[in-house]
Amino acid sequence: MNSDFHYYATYCAAILAGYNHRDSLDIAYSNCFVDMCTKTMLSRIKAPLAAATTQLNLELMDANTDIVGLQDITRIWASFHFLPKDLYAEPAAKHCSKRYKNKYRLICGTNSELLGHTVRLAKNKSLQAMGIAMHVLCDTWAHTYFAGTPSLVINSPYNRFYEIMPDGTERKITFRHSASQPDNLDNSIYTSSLGTSSENSIMNLGHGRAGHLPDYSFIKYRYLTAWGNYEETVKDNPHDYRYAFCQMLYALKYLRGVYDEFELNRYEFEAIADIEDEIDAIINKRQLSSAEDWRALGEKLSGEKVEEFDREKYIAEYSNADEKQKDGTFLGKFIIGALAQKSMVTNKIYSSGNKLAGYSIDYKKKGFHGIRAYRKLVKEGEHE
Amino acid sequence: MSKFKRIRDVILGVFMILLALLMILLPENSLGIVVLILTVSMFAYGFRLLWFYFTMSRHMVGGKATLYRAIIVLDLALFLVSAAALSRIIVLIYLIFIFIFTGIIDILRSFEAKSNGAANWRFKMTTGVITVLLAIGLIVAGLFFQREDILVYGYCISLIYSAVTRIANAFRKTAIVYIQ
Repeated sequence: MNSDFHYYATYCAAILAGYNHRDSLDIAYSNCFVDMCTKTMLSRIKAPLAAATTQLNLELMDANTDIVGLQDITRIWASFHFLPKDLYAEPAAKHCSKRYKNKYRLICGTNSELLGHTVRLAKNKSLQAMGIAMHVLCDTWAHTYFAGTPSLVINSPYNRFYEIMPDGTERKITFRHSASQPDNLDNSIYTSSLGTSSENSIMNLGHGRAGHLPDYSFIKYRYLTAWGNYEETVKDNPHDYRYAFCQMLYALKYLRGVYDEFELNRYEFEAIADIEDEIDAIINKRQLSSAEDWRALGEKLSGEKVEEFDREKYIAEYSNADEKQKDGTFLGKFIIGALAQKSMVTNKIYSSGNKLAGYSIDYKKKGFHGIRAYRKLVKEGEHE
Repeated sequence: MSKFKRIRDVILGVFMILLALLMILLPENSLGIVVLILTVSMFAYGFRLLWFYFTMSRHMVGGKATLYRAIIVLDLALFLVSAAALSRIIVLIYLIFIFIFTGIIDILRSFEAKSNGAANWRFKMTTGVITVLLAIGLIVAGLFFQREDILVYGYCISLIYSAVTRIANAFRKTAIVYIQ
């Protein structure tokens, strides 16, 4: 998903969930900021690097794909963009190696136990933590079938993709590897990462080999996943984005206290009944970005002007704050939320016997060890 | 390219240059060194591919390509060992054909890169054409003069050229696409 959904659509969902304009903006901003919070940015403002929620092209190019490098990459991408569907899943094929299973079990999917943990983790926390949780939730719908770890055997689908047009006809999708050119929607030409036979190449991270297809709400396509045993997969983004919006709306209502429990597979379809046609029109519109359409809907819903996303908006506040005050700033709260989410997902992956995301230590049993930045979580827990 | 790979490529490039210089200085022992290095590295690579196929890619759509690659590499390694025992000239010609093959692959990849709009296709085309021309020149010279050492020197020049290309590549900016 792109900033159009992560920012403007999230704003719409937050308004519909009953948040006021200011809080809705903060939730939407935090959701979108997950795609901006890199080590480079954190280094610039002297914030803990462990809180990175994404990686820049250059950071990935310089990332080693030895085990330590892979764990760092996996912690980021599995925690925030490709939440694993089932950490104990068994591949259809028999006699798989442990190495294969570990990668297979990181495949992203919707309505996972981890999603429940993610949303509940944000309950009674900051708006920033809620925004982070909404980012993770939305991405489970867009990034289904890909894993947040570099893997040829999981993330490199067979290169025959067919776009299913609204009238039912099909069009062959062509992939190119030119980052400078925008995707050509008229001719179904899309940019994807380069093909490589190396298992751990960053070209095989997430949905890179399928280009931006998962990020467009309008597209429906069929293809063979790398791991699907030659069974064809149809990815229906208009359907998935609609569900993502309605599940986000439900989750935001839960976080606001409308519901006592967060249940999987629940959606707020009734809440959008009055604007269903407008939402469907935006989702199905064939365009590179639907930001303006979502923004217009958001302004209609709240009656307020929705400002453009500005990644620099809270940088000065954090940089200028005293050391003791930093955790109370907007970015300070975002960082704590990010550390908590990363810590939780890493712990669940590690506890399943999979070390691809690194090691996790139970603080209550063994005290504090490891990355110092996570002390913030300990302090946060003491305050509660 | 990661920092680790850049450093690895520079070290490998320097090693290749030193090896070429050694072979030029000691041409009578050079062929044995070449055969040994090539054979060991090809066997290691072939068995690594086989291991990867049986543990990982046999579950992947199109994963059999890994198995075919492993068999071809191991077959080439066996052929190299056999040829070395029979005739030194065959080994050298074989090595030069590997260069031609590498050059052709570079040229084909440059076409692919061009059709995909990638900016680095000219570099690939240049290296591919130079590699092929150099290899053809060596075969003609070797056959014309009927001298094995000319082929050894030619191979050394090619090796140095490959090493320099590898080192230059390690310092190049590499444009990649990644999707978030």
